[in-house]
Amino acid sequence: MAETGPRKEPDEAMLDLLIKQVTEGLSPEEQRELDVLDNEVASAYARDLEHAAAAISLAGTGQPEPMPAALRARIEAQLEAAMAPAAAPTQAAAPNGRSSTVGAIGRAPRPQSRSTAGWWAAAACLVLAVFGWLRAPSPVHGPGAVPTPAQQRDALLAQPGTLQVQLDATAEPAAAGAKADVVWDPRTQQGVVRFVGLKPNDPSQHQYQLWIFDGDRDQRYPVDGGVFDVPPNADQVVVPIHAALRVHAAKAFAVTIEKPGGVVVSGREHVVAIGKAG
Amino acid sequence: MRECMDRYGALVWSLARRLSRTASDAEDAAQEIFLDIWRSAARYDASRGSDKVFVATIARRRLIDRMRKKGGEPPMEPPEALESIAWSDPASLPETAIDASHAARALEELRPEQRQVLELGLMHGLSQSEIASRLRMPLGTVKSLMRRGLLRVREYMNIEIEGVAGRADG
Repeated sequence: MAETGPRKEPDEAMLDLLIKQVTEGLSPEEQRELDVLDNEVASAYARDLEHAAAAISLAGTGQPEPMPAALRARIEAQLEAAMAPAAAPTQAAAPNGRSSTVGAIGRAPRPQSRSTAGWWAAAACLVLAVFGWLRAPSPVHGPGAVPTPAQQRDALLAQPGTLQVQLDATAEPAAAGAKADVVWDPRTQQGVVRFVGLKPNDPSQHQYQLWIFDGDRDQRYPVDGGVFDVPPNADQVVVPIHAALRVHAAKAFAVTIEKPGGVVVSGREHVVAIGKAG
Repeated sequence: MRECMDRYGALVWSLARRLSRTASDAEDAAQEIFLDIWRSAARYDASRGSDKVFVATIARRRLIDRMRKKGGEPPMEPPEALESIAWSDPASLPETAIDASHAARALEELRPEQRQVLELGLMHGLSQSEIASRLRMPLGTVKSLMRRGLLRVREYMNIEIEGVAGRADG
């Protein structure tokens, strides 16, 4: 379903909320107020206003103050620890021949080792990710034709080779009666997750986070697929997947409840849905 | 990683210093921001702006979130002590920050009170209520100045949506 006609414009109340959102943040009440407004218009404007605000911040930063060396060292060590899981060598996750992707949920320990090899691989991974930005291809859609997540889903389903994976709700209260599926195109690394009946969340308290289990990576450390919210009164949500790393062979998908902004490695205390590909 | 820190470390630290209540808070914020950058790197779309603006966007999100959570704490400096921002000369900004250059040009064309409100809000992290109190302006006037200023910058930066800035100024 293609967009037709001129793009809708936000009214003054929506603009005031969006500007407050990008300048000082919204209270939970204001966030709820914004959530019930036209989400498509709001998200397009929010993105543009946030971009303008960031550009102004950059213009006003002038000659940036160098980061203290001790802090820089701490951050490098922190990133090293965070990246080690993503770069850890793939291990035999299912020695008994059965897929362990589902069984691993809830039992996987947090990473503790930081091998030199893992560190260099992780560092290379980050440099490629960051500096690969400058060479990132342009999106396939032109200006003014940004597809909605639902349209993205339809388009992906029409592509050959796209995976469609049903997710099973767990006993987690937020997932009671929920149904979900994932559509994922391994070639373009694009996908969406669709939920029906998932409990709305308060983004200031927690957010949902999607995980992708890659057959070419250590199964203890699935790839972050991005965080998302379920607004009040939303019967259905369709959310684009933003994989933080390239997924070579998606074997399973899971959704957890995490702190606002998500986490790098989930403790998996609250898994709401999971499903295996194929 | 060293290249990454060389490229973005000072930018992140400068933003964190500006929008944090204490030096210790700024250090915690900088750490969180770099984790966010790492997690979000795959989402960068070069067609939507420079990498530095992308990093600044991520940093601002995190800093705003932290400011809201620490809203009750006193600021590092009293509002009276806030220094006026020396905006970059648009021509001096590197080619890699073309959108920041556009923003700087747009700021030059704003009315002084619009620029002042944006400066207090975006660079010093004051809320609209705090700006109204500091400038002894009605809150509605602050909202209006901020709305018109930000939309004007956005329009100047040639972001896709058209017509709103003109309507707001009309």
